Amino acid sequence: MSWQQLWIFAIAAIICWVAGAAVALRSRRVGVASALSVAGSLIFFSYIVGMWIALERPPMRTMGETRLWYSFFLSVAGIAVYLRWRYRWILSFSTMMSVVFICINLFKPEIHSKSLMPALQSPWFVPHVIVYMFAYAMMGAVTLFAIYLWWRSSRKEPSAEEMGVCDNLVRIGWSFLTLGMVMGALWAKQAWGDYWTWDPKETWAAATWLGYLLYLHLRQQTKDYNVLFALLIFDFIMLQMCWYGINYLPSAQGASVHVY
Amino acid sequence: MTLQWGYKRAFMRCGCLVVVGAVLQMAFGDFDNKFLRYPWGLIFAINYLYLLLLVYVQSAKWKWLQQLYDGYAMVSSLTSMMVLTIIFGFTRQDPATQGLVGALGFSRMTSSWIFNLMLLYFVSSLGVCVMRDVHHWRKVRLAALMSHVVVFVALCAAMFGSADKERVMVDLQLDRMTYMGQTAAGEERELPFGLTLREFQMDEYPAKLYILDAQTEESSQEFLSAEHVGAEAVVDGWRLRVKQSIDMAARMPESDVFREIHHVGAAPAVMVEAVSEATGERYEGWVSCGSHIFEPAFLWLGERYVVAMPRREAKRYLSRIEIMDGNGELWREDVEVNKPARVGSWRIYQVGYNTQLGRWSTSSVVECVRDGWWSVVQVALWMLLASGVVMFLTAQGKRLAPKKKEEKR
Repeated sequence: MSWQQLWIFAIAAIICWVAGAAVALRSRRVGVASALSVAGSLIFFSYIVGMWIALERPPMRTMGETRLWYSFFLSVAGIAVYLRWRYRWILSFSTMMSVVFICINLFKPEIHSKSLMPALQSPWFVPHVIVYMFAYAMMGAVTLFAIYLWWRSSRKEPSAEEMGVCDNLVRIGWSFLTLGMVMGALWAKQAWGDYWTWDPKETWAAATWLGYLLYLHLRQQTKDYNVLFALLIFDFIMLQMCWYGINYLPSAQGASVHVY
Repeated sequence: MTLQWGYKRAFMRCGCLVVVGAVLQMAFGDFDNKFLRYPWGLIFAINYLYLLLLVYVQSAKWKWLQQLYDGYAMVSSLTSMMVLTIIFGFTRQDPATQGLVGALGFSRMTSSWIFNLMLLYFVSSLGVCVMRDVHHWRKVRLAALMSHVVVFVALCAAMFGSADKERVMVDLQLDRMTYMGQTAAGEERELPFGLTLREFQMDEYPAKLYILDAQTEESSQEFLSAEHVGAEAVVDGWRLRVKQSIDMAARMPESDVFREIHHVGAAPAVMVEAVSEATGERYEGWVSCGSHIFEPAFLWLGERYVVAMPRREAKRYLSRIEIMDGNGELWREDVEVNKPARVGSWRIYQVGYNTQLGRWSTSSVVECVRDGWWSVVQVALWMLLASGVVMFLTAQGKRLAPKKKEEKR
């Protein structure tokens, strides 16, 4: 398995996801929509597993490899939300976002080597990245949902149930952000001798973590959904900065061990 | 949106802290945490906890104290911490920075008064909240209580234990015992134990072959990983194939042929065949990355392109060290990246080696780290991990919407 085969798996997965999203939008056949979407996710996951075997290391080292996980977890998050709350549009949104990240990988192919620097050879590597990517996917899903609720054509105010979905997604995402951060801290202590060094990646991870924590606290204080939705979008922008923005940030150049 | 008075008051408090922090920064320079060195860090921590407890107990009598840990205080301190962390993220941490950013200490954020005062305010609000949550224990708030407690413990340990962290870099030379190292500030520091490097080992990834453009000096993105004889790949329009591979080789003087040798400085060598996909041109020859003793070898493909092998990447490296403690007891440990050795309260980390010599390095750089508060932080981190799991498991069906007035405490 190599990067050259991505388009085959990507097209097959996208066809399944789009079909699942279309069924969800146009009919009430939840089983068919879910089965199609799950099939798409399984196809995409089989490519990730194939890369893992071929590279003889977890495909989590480069930015392109983390995008693979992000696309996969977005589809998983979409299916989970659809099955739990039956939002018919969520599969379309998660598919759209997964496709965007797959396209970035298709149009900006990376050359992969089997090399894995010694610092990354740790039992924390796989859970740390997977947990973070899942958190990012949950936060991606809640951002899309917030944008939908804020700017939908009906201009209807969000219901308590709709805000409840936002809260649950943020709580799940934030708990995974916490898990990722703690795993990173325990790993850093093992690898570098300190659990927190304010490396630019860590700084932005802390800012993102505080941002979503602010949402969880502000939610108990205010009903002004304009503030809450604006905060969710702002937090997601910070999350992008933490994920790949620091690669382009002048203040992080040469100062981060996380630039990859 | 109009801000409620509670928010205005809470944010004004944060604003006052920023002003006080800026004045202290300009008057006294960076915040120096040396006064927190053991045992003072512990003494301050105990008194601080007592003070927070006092604030909570007295807040029943003096209502204004509740402003230090009510919802407005939490939101304002969280927002302020988030904003400062964003400024931290955007500011290059360089002590030499001048101008307003340097004057306010933002270019040395962890030593800035503003950041430390705000952190203290945030942790204090959190601490009193924890006491309130423990006092009015409710099972439904288990995940929140766990998170609050462990974040508070971790931040307290990080704050009051910050002066007790020691990092000493030690340059080890083969078979030479040393007790001395250097701190980040460049000061000499004597260790309570002696270290001797007995052996340095390194495993490397297979050699990679790239095509270089001699005119532009650019390297191909693609490469051939010479993992075994017969491995092949198309690199920049050339089909490269490994015909012979020697892990430890050297070219004999006045010869074009590489032979296997087991000698210091031996380097990997690959006999490679290159065929142009477009024209069918064919070249064959030895390619080697060379070493500190032997010259590298290249295969020219006409006049412009050349097949080259960079130094192999390290897969793992370890230092076999001998440790002698203060009692004269002697034992051996292997120190590897992600696998530090322990000597009492110290941990020894593998940091580097002589990259010029690579696998033949006769020196190794290790870092000795001591953090007296690590065990507290470690417990807090594991508990935070558990609270993350609890929060995930209990995420369903929680109500986050504002409570009715009568429910508010």
